[in-house]
Amino acid sequence: MLTTVQDNLFSPDVIANPYAFYGRLRGEDPVHWNETYALWLITRHDDLVWLTRHHELFSSAVFRNDPRPAYPAIDESDLGLYEYVKNYQGDQFIQHDRPAHLEMRRVMHGYFTPKSMEAWRPFVRDAVKELLDAAEAKGEMDVMRDLATPLPVLVIAEMMGVPKEDRLYIRQLAEKLLYIGRGDYDRMKPLTEGMRGMIEYVSPLIDKRIVDPGDDFISVLARGEKQGVFTRHQVLVNTSLLLLAGHETTINLLCNGTLALTRHPDQWELLKQDPAGRAKQATEECLRYDSPVISIQRIATEDVEMRGKVLRKDDRVRWFISSANRDPEAFPNADTFDISRHPNQHVAFGSGTHHCLGATLARVEGQEVFRALAERFPNLRAETEDLEYQPSITFRSLKSLPVTWH
Amino acid sequence: MARKLKVWVDPHTCVGNAMCESIAPRVFRLNENRQSEAVDPAGDSEAKILEAAENCPVSAIFVEDAETGERLFP
Repeated sequence: MLTTVQDNLFSPDVIANPYAFYGRLRGEDPVHWNETYALWLITRHDDLVWLTRHHELFSSAVFRNDPRPAYPAIDESDLGLYEYVKNYQGDQFIQHDRPAHLEMRRVMHGYFTPKSMEAWRPFVRDAVKELLDAAEAKGEMDVMRDLATPLPVLVIAEMMGVPKEDRLYIRQLAEKLLYIGRGDYDRMKPLTEGMRGMIEYVSPLIDKRIVDPGDDFISVLARGEKQGVFTRHQVLVNTSLLLLAGHETTINLLCNGTLALTRHPDQWELLKQDPAGRAKQATEECLRYDSPVISIQRIATEDVEMRGKVLRKDDRVRWFISSANRDPEAFPNADTFDISRHPNQHVAFGSGTHHCLGATLARVEGQEVFRALAERFPNLRAETEDLEYQPSITFRSLKSLPVTWH
Repeated sequence: MARKLKVWVDPHTCVGNAMCESIAPRVFRLNENRQSEAVDPAGDSEAKILEAAENCPVSAIFVEDAETGERLFP
């Protein structure tokens, strides 16, 4: 057992370096009860794989099936807002279990196959080129502001047939939705503002696609309503979800990956020798080494024993991708950034029936960005080592990443 | 007479998404690791098997003509 336990998952040192904290848990108490939030923390790679592949034991309907109050605690006057959040989140397809989850996923799954996402590569490549042209002309770049954010927003908005001029507004709403992974006492206000704003924004787009469907992704969701798989509220919520999830996690892949590459000159050299040939494996290593998503939650559907501990029915169970991807039992030299690593069975996209729907799209965007950076900015380096992360236990998200190449 | 197929799943790539099992349940079945295995390449039509292969999110499914060795997917 741990003698002293830091139980505040939102403390500045855990946010700054989750690897040290969760790495220690993984070694000493891999199925750990966090008293503060009444929550199990799962940190080993093999446990995470086992858990995510036993979806019948661990429900994804974490908002609908959790009878306890929000964690961390929220302002009591915001309990009404929390009910709104529960209803909103509860209608996301990812917050469902089989058989409903399978039925919902099948509406969307075909849009995101590796083959159909590959067809988007030229669009992604052109978009990367345009953004890097602009950065080059300006002579400086904040990777977060000028590349990692605009690229995935541009791509998902194009897929969804969202007007170009609305992209900034979507990002502003998305930033409010990110309060879901934070611990602020008063987070329900910005969060529900973001949710209501999204619903309001996508509603007329859906009305239009119901009557006049196209080949965009909102039309795919609208078809789900016609088939009776989705209610209108579910179409609204899932359109919003895809707009957000379709870019937020990729932002973190691009930023965290660029940071890792600039911090490891030997690996940057290696990538530069053959950017087209090595971008694929480099992207996998970026996904593993500093994963875009830190952790995800489930609710136990029955009593389950893991490593001698009994997880009771309805217990909250949170699994840590960031820790599993640094598990020395799963990866030799797990804390070493190695773009030639093979095999690389990281769990950045989760595993099992809920494996990330947009995984291939994220991969394509990562590959194109890391390749283009290596080809165009051989002297790329971070401007500062003084970097700050968003205080989230869900997303591993830098606030900014200024770089130079002169 | 439908041609004979050779179908297999790469265990190092399969993430147990189980979409293949839902599309062609007589061909693909999850094993004790909750990874897919091709248990009967003649269990469903070639079209269903190719649909399952195409819908694998990590491209872990391989399909060949059993007699000629011609790669049908990917």
